[in-house]
Amino acid sequence: MADNPEAMPECDSESSGARSRKPASNTATEQSDPPEGSMFECNICLDTARDAVVSYCGHLFCWPCLHQWLETRPNRQMCPVCKAGISKDKVIPLYGRGDTKHEDPRERLPPRPPGQRSEPENSAGFSSFGLDGGFQMSFGIGAFPFGFFASSLNFGDMRPASPQPGTPQSEQEQFLSKVFLWVAILFILWLFLA
Amino acid sequence: MSRVTFAEKRIQKELMALKNDPPVGVTLDDSSLTNIYRWRVHIEGAENTLYEGEHFILDFKFTAKYPFESPQVVFLGPIIPVHPHVYSNGHICLSILTEDWSPAMSVESVCLSIVSMLSSCKEKKRPPDNSVYVRTCSKNPKDTNWWYHEL
Repeated sequence: MADNPEAMPECDSESSGARSRKPASNTATEQSDPPEGSMFECNICLDTARDAVVSYCGHLFCWPCLHQWLETRPNRQMCPVCKAGISKDKVIPLYGRGDTKHEDPRERLPPRPPGQRSEPENSAGFSSFGLDGGFQMSFGIGAFPFGFFASSLNFGDMRPASPQPGTPQSEQEQFLSKVFLWVAILFILWLFLA
Repeated sequence: MSRVTFAEKRIQKELMALKNDPPVGVTLDDSSLTNIYRWRVHIEGAENTLYEGEHFILDFKFTAKYPFESPQVVFLGPIIPVHPHVYSNGHICLSILTEDWSPAMSVESVCLSIVSMLSSCKEKKRPPDNSVYVRTCSKNPKDTNWWYHEL
């Protein structure tokens, strides 16, 4: 059977780069070398790659081109050149010098995956973990019963103005609101324990 | 108004490459080229194989989704190679033409794969289900559910 990756013009551009000045007839049968200066061509559109990304297996693409290919076969994502596994998270964007004026490529569609930048060891953030994980989750669950009471106890716009502070009515309302607060807290605790 | 689409741009690039620097045994038929989405390519059987000295014509049809969608490739009569993976109506059972297609492949690589498929042939014969298939298949080989197996 034909070994397809070998017929790909650019699959071993690294080794052929130094030799590409030989006469073309030497290589024409098995793999036709790309013309000189085509090292940075996208393997899909065959143009110079723009918004370039490189796969872990080393193959260069325009991000829009590769993105469209990944969308075409979402459940069988393979490198077009060597059929290695590939995905949005498994490509590295290439930022050339002078590329800074298009600061955030993610704002353009389709988004190019961001470069992965790991934090230095000592400042690995504790605060970001706490904020992203625990706090947001408990807030989401806790808000639910309040929303429920609010929607079922407000009938129309008939709500009276709040009483003057210091009057017995105001004290009663303060008490009631505390009772509801405790009910809510107990409810949340019950949710967690149940 | 004549905006060149992605597919047309890519097909045009391949056309120039195949015109200017064709691999051995593969020739683009310029004269038949009225529409960029439809090509005829002549291939020759490789030396020291069962198909040495034979000429065949491949018919390529591209869609606007090329290269994300494979081209439709069939042998064009009157001479269809006698090969266990080539039906007498020109349809070719080759996985890269459907499910194993990748946008990094090209007309050139498809032609080379087909030449190589012919070259590896040990005995010239039609596929066992040829007569049934030819009577019942769709015009477009890509509508067939091919069942690929190793050579």
